[in-house]
Amino acid sequence: MSDNRIEGYSRALFEIARAEGTLDEVEDELFRFARSYESSDALRNALTDEQIPAGKRQAIVEDLLGGKATSTTTQLVSMVVGSGRGRDLPAIIDKLVARASSAKNLEVAEVRTAVPLTADQQDRLTAAIVNATGKQVNLKVVVDPSVIGGVVATVGDTVIDGSVRTRIDQLKSRL
Amino acid sequence: MNVLGIIATAGRFVAEEEHLVTDSDGNVVTHSWLLPETAEIIWGGLASLILFYALYKFGWPQMKKFFNGRTARIQGELDAAAADKESAAAEAVGIRQAKGDIAAERARIMADAATQAENILTDGRARLVTEVAELEARSQAEIAAARGRVGDELRAEISRLSSAAVDHVVSGSLDDATQQELIENFIARVGAQS
Repeated sequence: MSDNRIEGYSRALFEIARAEGTLDEVEDELFRFARSYESSDALRNALTDEQIPAGKRQAIVEDLLGGKATSTTTQLVSMVVGSGRGRDLPAIIDKLVARASSAKNLEVAEVRTAVPLTADQQDRLTAAIVNATGKQVNLKVVVDPSVIGGVVATVGDTVIDGSVRTRIDQLKSRL
Repeated sequence: MNVLGIIATAGRFVAEEEHLVTDSDGNVVTHSWLLPETAEIIWGGLASLILFYALYKFGWPQMKKFFNGRTARIQGELDAAAADKESAAAEAVGIRQAKGDIAAERARIMADAATQAENILTDGRARLVTEVAELEARSQAEIAAARGRVGDELRAEISRLSSAAVDHVVSGSLDDATQQELIENFIARVGAQS
């Protein structure tokens, strides 16, 4: 999909969520859904398979998110999948998150950990990143078992890598 | 009547008709046993002269022409035979020469063939030696490559197994406390940066 189309979809989703007054919640849910989408081949294949009718793909989305996310989030994802743009869902959502953060003068800080962070840890990590980068950030935590241990934080083009995964890779390279 | 009687009777009739003198047997009797009658000599001589003249006047040119033509034809045939003889002689010379040339050509071809065969044999031996050397070199290279490939594959397999073992050991050793410690250390390290 062209950048213009991704931009258009993200703007539409952003405006709808803002109009509904659930921007923060929707943005967070969409972000998590995008990460799940990226890490699950089965989900990605199901939502992008053109052989599956659009209604059935939308039904899959509603089954997955129904009761676990706001109806706005469910409807927005369903709309994108139904229009045959499921393949671009992560890019659209990333644009939306960036737009939402930008609207609040924040920069997205994507944090990957092997285990979930507590609210206290998220607050302290946000403060630490703000201190390190000098930017106000919108923290987005992704639980990623491939990290093995530690944390990888990405703020714009800056990557702060304290993961066990990277240390093991470095060790392997030296070996 | 026999045959002689018939001839005698016929002779008497002819003699009576021509007023010739005959004897009792009917035979014509002349004035001389050798010479014919004078008139016959005169007329016969005149007729002979006329005949000879006519032969000389009309027959001789034709005969001369015939003989000249015959002579020319024979001469032509003789000339043609001589020309054929010369041509045959020249052809014989050519054939003898060609025979000599053929022998020389045969000798040359045989010599060329022998030289070519020798060259082919020499080239073949050299090529065979080169090919054997190349094959040997290629085999050596392939053996070395296979040895290297096997070594590489072995190293890669060891590396993969080591990596999997490291992942497994490290993942297994990371209990919740260690995970929390790693996170806290990260927060502290990032917070210390400015």
